Amino acid sequence: MTYTILAFAGNPRRHGNSEILLDWVLDAMQNDNEVHIEKIVLVQSDIKPCRGCNSCEKTNKCAIRDDMDLIYDKICTADCIILAAPIFCMSICSQAKALVDRAQLFRSRKYVLHLPVTPPGRKGKRLGLFISTAGQDWDYVFDGSIPVVKCFFHVIDIKNRDIHYLLINKVDEKGAVLSHPDAKQQAEKMADSIITTLKTG
Amino acid sequence: MVTKKLVLGLSGSPHRHGNTEQLLDRFLAGASDAGADSEKIILAGLDYSTCRGCNACHKTGICILSDDLNHLFTKILDEVDILGIASPIYSMNVTAELKGFIDRAQFIWSQKFITKTRSYSADHFRRHHAFFLSTAGMDDDTVFDATFPTIKAICNNLGFSYSGNILFHGMDIHGGIQGHPSALSEAFDAGKKAVLNLELL
Repeated sequence: MTYTILAFAGNPRRHGNSEILLDWVLDAMQNDNEVHIEKIVLVQSDIKPCRGCNSCEKTNKCAIRDDMDLIYDKICTADCIILAAPIFCMSICSQAKALVDRAQLFRSRKYVLHLPVTPPGRKGKRLGLFISTAGQDWDYVFDGSIPVVKCFFHVIDIKNRDIHYLLINKVDEKGAVLSHPDAKQQAEKMADSIITTLKTG
Repeated sequence: MVTKKLVLGLSGSPHRHGNTEQLLDRFLAGASDAGADSEKIILAGLDYSTCRGCNACHKTGICILSDDLNHLFTKILDEVDILGIASPIYSMNVTAELKGFIDRAQFIWSQKFITKTRSYSADHFRRHHAFFLSTAGMDDDTVFDATFPTIKAICNNLGFSYSGNILFHGMDIHGGIQGHPSALSEAFDAGKKAVLNLELL
């Protein structure tokens, strides 16, 4: 049995804090030979913002032709989907927001056309993980991002109870998370917990 | 001598003349009715990149990117008295277009808090007012909640008091803004009142 992990690095600054956290999670998952990981870096991908044309409500297809053509299929088949994005101005950065908005196709598929999101016959839980970092030390700095992220996971058929969160604040300058007392341990523990849940259903 | 107030509407919607832009148009019409000059900027029609999170502005206070937003930020900071920030709700927050604009204001945040080359007096905030205009398809009054911290943050960056919200949910059941009993007239009144309030100072 192979478990597919699809990870989005939404950060505009390569190898910054949220991507470091993501890589810690992925490195820990990589130790399991039943796990297949694909990491997509949003700033290296061509993902245009949703046009709000609503044509997907009729056609079950996005009107825009770009890298989402392939990403849509990958989202449907993955066992665990990870979204990593830093907080900019109290929500996820705009690159990640563009990806979330393009998931409108799945909303149309699920709630308007009443079609399945995952392939027929697929068994087992689908899990979501939101990884984020913020410079501010306010404990509410992630609050504005949570409804957005839930929206993303809900439309791709991942339920509230199957969404996990790895949120580290007070890390601003590039690499600041490296000196965080236990962020790496939290990331490794999260990876372990997700793989265990995937395997035990 | 009394100078005319300048009211700028920023439309973050990807498609033209939708519910939110119609709401913004009435807000601007109300402002013009009260004697102000009003202008509208369609963000989707501008050429701009997303913030790269490079933090160069944390050293210099200047954004390394050069595109249509440079002029827009200068205009807002130097000329605008009342700002109408408009975006429909996509996935529980503002569109990627508006979030792209908001994230790019990081250089102003840097000027305020790092290079200390910019500060706004209490009187400046008293004379600069911003309003958030939005519509959502869902008939749920919590649908706007996640946007408020982001709008508050951009208002603080730009030196505008966050003076009010003009929000209408349930567009799907009303069959769009035209089907809403009072939305467009409320927006007109809000635009008019916003200008008259400033004139009183």
